[in-house]
Amino acid sequence: MDESNHWYGHSRILARYCGYPDDVPRRIQGFVQHGWNYLHGYPPNDHWCTPGYPRFIWADVLRRRGWSMGRRGHYLIGAPWIYLLDLEPDLGLMPEEEREGTIWYPFHGWEKNAVIGDHGRLAAHIREVETGPVTVCLYWLEFANIGIRAAYESAGFRVICHGSRGSRWDDAGRDFLRGQLTELRRHRRVASNRLGSALFYGASVGCDIAVYGDPMQFEGERPEYGGTARRMRLWPELHGEHVDRGLAAEAARRELGFEYQATPEELRRMFGWKRVRCA
Amino acid sequence: MRMTEAPGNVRLIGGEMLLWSDADAATDWRGAGLELVRRLVPPGGRVLVAGPHPRGLIGAVSGAASSVAVLVRSYPDACALGERHPALDVHCGRLRALTGVEPYDLVLALDGLERTHSAEEQAPPWRASLQALAALVAPGGRLVLAVPNDLGVDRFVDARPPDREGADGHWEPHGFDPSHPGGPEALDAALEAAGLVAERCYAAYPSRRAPRALFGRELLREDLPEALTVPLTAPGGDTMLVADPLRLTRLAFRHGLGEHLAPLWLTVATRPLSAAVPDAVTTDHAGEPDLTTHHAGEPGLTAHHAGEPHAVAAEEGPDGAGAEESAHEPGAGVAAAEEWPYEAAAEAEGAPSQDAGEAAVVDRAPRDLLPQGLVEVGRAVHEVTATSTRRLPGGTERPIPRGRIVEEVLVEACAREDVRAVRDLLAALAAWVADGGDAPADNLVWDGERFTAITPVPAPGSPAPAPVVLCRILWRFAVRLLAAGHHHPWPWPLDAGQLALTLCGMAGQTCDQDDLDRARKLEAELGQPVGPAELAGAAPTYRDLLSARDRVTEQLTAALARIARLETKLSFRERELVRTRAKLRRSQRKATALRRTLGYRLSRRLSRPRRAARKVLRLLAR
Repeated sequence: MDESNHWYGHSRILARYCGYPDDVPRRIQGFVQHGWNYLHGYPPNDHWCTPGYPRFIWADVLRRRGWSMGRRGHYLIGAPWIYLLDLEPDLGLMPEEEREGTIWYPFHGWEKNAVIGDHGRLAAHIREVETGPVTVCLYWLEFANIGIRAAYESAGFRVICHGSRGSRWDDAGRDFLRGQLTELRRHRRVASNRLGSALFYGASVGCDIAVYGDPMQFEGERPEYGGTARRMRLWPELHGEHVDRGLAAEAARRELGFEYQATPEELRRMFGWKRVRCA
Repeated sequence: MRMTEAPGNVRLIGGEMLLWSDADAATDWRGAGLELVRRLVPPGGRVLVAGPHPRGLIGAVSGAASSVAVLVRSYPDACALGERHPALDVHCGRLRALTGVEPYDLVLALDGLERTHSAEEQAPPWRASLQALAALVAPGGRLVLAVPNDLGVDRFVDARPPDREGADGHWEPHGFDPSHPGGPEALDAALEAAGLVAERCYAAYPSRRAPRALFGRELLREDLPEALTVPLTAPGGDTMLVADPLRLTRLAFRHGLGEHLAPLWLTVATRPLSAAVPDAVTTDHAGEPDLTTHHAGEPGLTAHHAGEPHAVAAEEGPDGAGAEESAHEPGAGVAAAEEWPYEAAAEAEGAPSQDAGEAAVVDRAPRDLLPQGLVEVGRAVHEVTATSTRRLPGGTERPIPRGRIVEEVLVEACAREDVRAVRDLLAALAAWVADGGDAPADNLVWDGERFTAITPVPAPGSPAPAPVVLCRILWRFAVRLLAAGHHHPWPWPLDAGQLALTLCGMAGQTCDQDDLDRARKLEAELGQPVGPAELAGAAPTYRDLLSARDRVTEQLTAALARIARLETKLSFRERELVRTRAKLRRSQRKATALRRTLGYRLSRRLSRPRRAARKVLRLLAR
């Protein structure tokens, strides 16, 4: 249907949850929200979401907001992440006491828009705050940028990358989320300079979360989101160097839509994966 | 000529309408109305049925009372009645010309007063007709009177109010009579002014043409469970409605307006024993002297029959026939039982109601003679209180389940696009069905913990497996949801079958097309009408039509957008395919050219012995 359905291996995870092999990504008849979002689940210019196809979103607030903005056809299934957790209850699981350190996700740009900011200063800030070992996880674009990598490596951090988010036609993004899950389950803390999917993913597997440091500038920042100020207004309790674990877990439950997990049969029918007899 | 064909028990009292019939216009009372009347008929007493009434009701009354008179304005109707029931006294003419008769112990006017006057006179005000009717009630006797409510819920949803149609029956326009009661209190006051005391006033639902439930005033003041309102869907018949009045009815009940917004009131009033005995012979509507001029129009007929006591007419009928009729009618054969399904119940109910009836004649009836409420469900009549129902006759008392109707809960969740609530409820429903439960969602109550069927569902011929039962319940719900044009969150499966299967999936049950086919067959066997659109011959309501049109527009927009998208994708893929094929052809051509080169051929030749040697080695290695 749309390229973004296959990013981060989402379509493969959902296929496996529905009992299909995940070697070839399946076409989903609709649009799966591909990342945490505080607009309506999709970018502001979502004209590619053709009406008549469902928008598979993560949380009810997105539906309400989308409805108020003239969008229709929302269908709540929660994040693909919750289906991964359902499939992989044990992947990378460690005893609680063996989990250590912080995994840090600096806010990243993407293929079309870069992020501008001083990574060296951010690394110094992280060094000040974090007490244990730090793993910095970069998006593949920044990972490929030797300058940025060096900024973190020189601070003594381990620098990793979950890989590219992949596409319909290659296997690149296939294990993106599985790798992320393994890493998150190794660490005690997950942090970033902007609230994002990774933090909620972390909170959902028992990590403490933290949001601090320069949020940096995004080239194509859209005013519709309301910027960092709005994130601070909406989730003041999730910002800071130390965040209440219970509040974070509750927010993750809500934002990732844990209560909206659909049954495999429902997804098979909603995604158009079931062969339907024509009348 | 017709006049000579009149049966002997038909008496023309003046104002009769020769070329007229009310047979199809009479209020279509069935089980509930019949049950009430049956309880009130005094055995050995005299009963007057004023105005057109359904056949079944007249049959039941003439079977139960010893002396029954009927007053109809239509001459053909009168003749037909006289022939069918030779023991009846049939008075044919206008109500106010019925003088010179002894008052009656029970006067039934279940069709109201609208059809008791005649085109031969200027239509009397409602109150004048009431006076005339009240004068026919003996001291200690009863009047059962229906009064249509001009502000009833059915009026709100009538797309073409019959009052304004200008049909043949409307020579007197309706709605301009200031004496027509404008509320239950006004009705009570009017009865009092006529020398009667209101005993109990019922609100009749769901429509004034076909009332199927009676709720006493006291009952409506209580907080009634939603389950009670389930059978109140109005059969649209050939009338066009703006909407199904069911939702409006529920709202009216919730707002405590059940009585004020009833389509019809049915009041039971008595004439106190102590009051002065009205002299039916001399009471000649002194209040409206201006109308006497109209009497002049038909003096001959009145005079002709004036000297003929009605009792003689009754005796003139074939002796045995009357007795036979009364004995035969209630216990009618199979065919009759099918036509009038509530007759059979009359026989069984006979004994207790007779006891009660005698008490009524002697003194004011005990209150429990008049039920708090009566509701028809299919062919059965149930007596209801605020907390229980009892199937008549002789059923045991069942508590009315509290809680919300499952279909409503689901419709609400759909309107909110709350798929989680739908999943949770359907999962609970699937568990209930797996435990042997079976009832459609529109006949099921959910109190948050338990499901309870409102009316027991007829068991199918052979027990169906749980997935098929679930499939049937959800298919029926899907059909009704789509037919009613409710909003729902499923943009993809637009047809009821696919939606039903998706719903099964949400309940955690994997059903396939075969289950669905079996479920449909089962539903057809049970023969319950699926929805408002499928009720016998009903026209769709105006709101249904509007929302259906909106839905089609939406679907068309979506379909066009999808086609445009798919076309774009298709062109893109075609271009890709063309490019890939061109690339492939180029590579093939290059490969062929390469194979023809001297260097390639030489290298193949040279490598041939080596390849042969490798083959031999591989064979040896095995």
